Amino acid sequence: MEIAVVGKSEFTLGFRMAGVKKILETNGDDLVPIIRNILKDKDVGVLVIHNDDMAGLPEKLRITLDELVTPTTITIGGAGESSNLRDKIKQAVGVDLWK
Amino acid sequence: MTVQDVKPTRSELIELKRKIKLSESGHKLLKMKRDGLILEFFEILKKAKTVRAELDEQFISSMEKINVAKSVEGIVTVKSTAFSFKDTPRLEVESKNVMGVVVPKIESSSIKKDINERGYGIIGTSSRIDEAAEAYENLVDKIILAAEIETTIKKLLDDIEKTKRRVNALEFKVIPELSEARDFIILRLDEMERENTFRLKRIKA
Repeated sequence: MEIAVVGKSEFTLGFRMAGVKKILETNGDDLVPIIRNILKDKDVGVLVIHNDDMAGLPEKLRITLDELVTPTTITIGGAGESSNLRDKIKQAVGVDLWK
Repeated sequence: MTVQDVKPTRSELIELKRKIKLSESGHKLLKMKRDGLILEFFEILKKAKTVRAELDEQFISSMEKINVAKSVEGIVTVKSTAFSFKDTPRLEVESKNVMGVVVPKIESSSIKKDINERGYGIIGTSSRIDEAAEAYENLVDKIILAAEIETTIKKLLDDIEKTKRRVNALEFKVIPELSEARDFIILRLDEMERENTFRLKRIKA
């Protein structure tokens, strides 16, 4: 399986330097069809996406990405992921343990 | 199930008693599962926090390095170098089961490479490109680790919430309602028996 990176060219360029070949550049408008195509691709094990792009996705697709094990989605950049996890922890355990 | 819907018969009483017993054992098991999941969650939480902090730090430093490379070498050089990289990191994504929760287990082929293994010429490029490439290799390494840990933590949290809801539903809704119905049947059966005794006495007299 491979790593796939989706995002704007300035976000994805560096990943090419780490040898990642499955890079899908987007200007934001065609993000949803690109993500849907990745979900169909059985060779993608980890999907890397910027937090701002993830926040712009429809809620249903975001939930799908959150729940899937393959591909496992990881978001970087910005502060979205930790606040998302913090909310989940608060909801499940009842205490903010992400401090 | 309201008390009015219950038929006050012995067979219904036996059925209700069986249901209460099953619900109580299910409640006990689910409580144990919830506690086990919370223990697993606490074990992984500290690791997740550290990995996320390192990942954010690494991402910022990698972006800085590639921006420096772009401004010194020019965007065309950086892009052309980036396209010459070979050896895609391969992943092995497996699923493992933690107390009924399916979580990913990700293993990867080596991502970090020597300069001469990267696929671009050393003479034509500067050390800034090497630094950026190294930073991104470290970032991908951290991403793989974070992907496994964060997905595990999310799955555990989802299951903790689900199990908590089930435990609460059994404890505060299902078991009390069944017990109420059982008590009602016992009461009605006793009453019917007393009525019968009274009727027999009236007939005898």
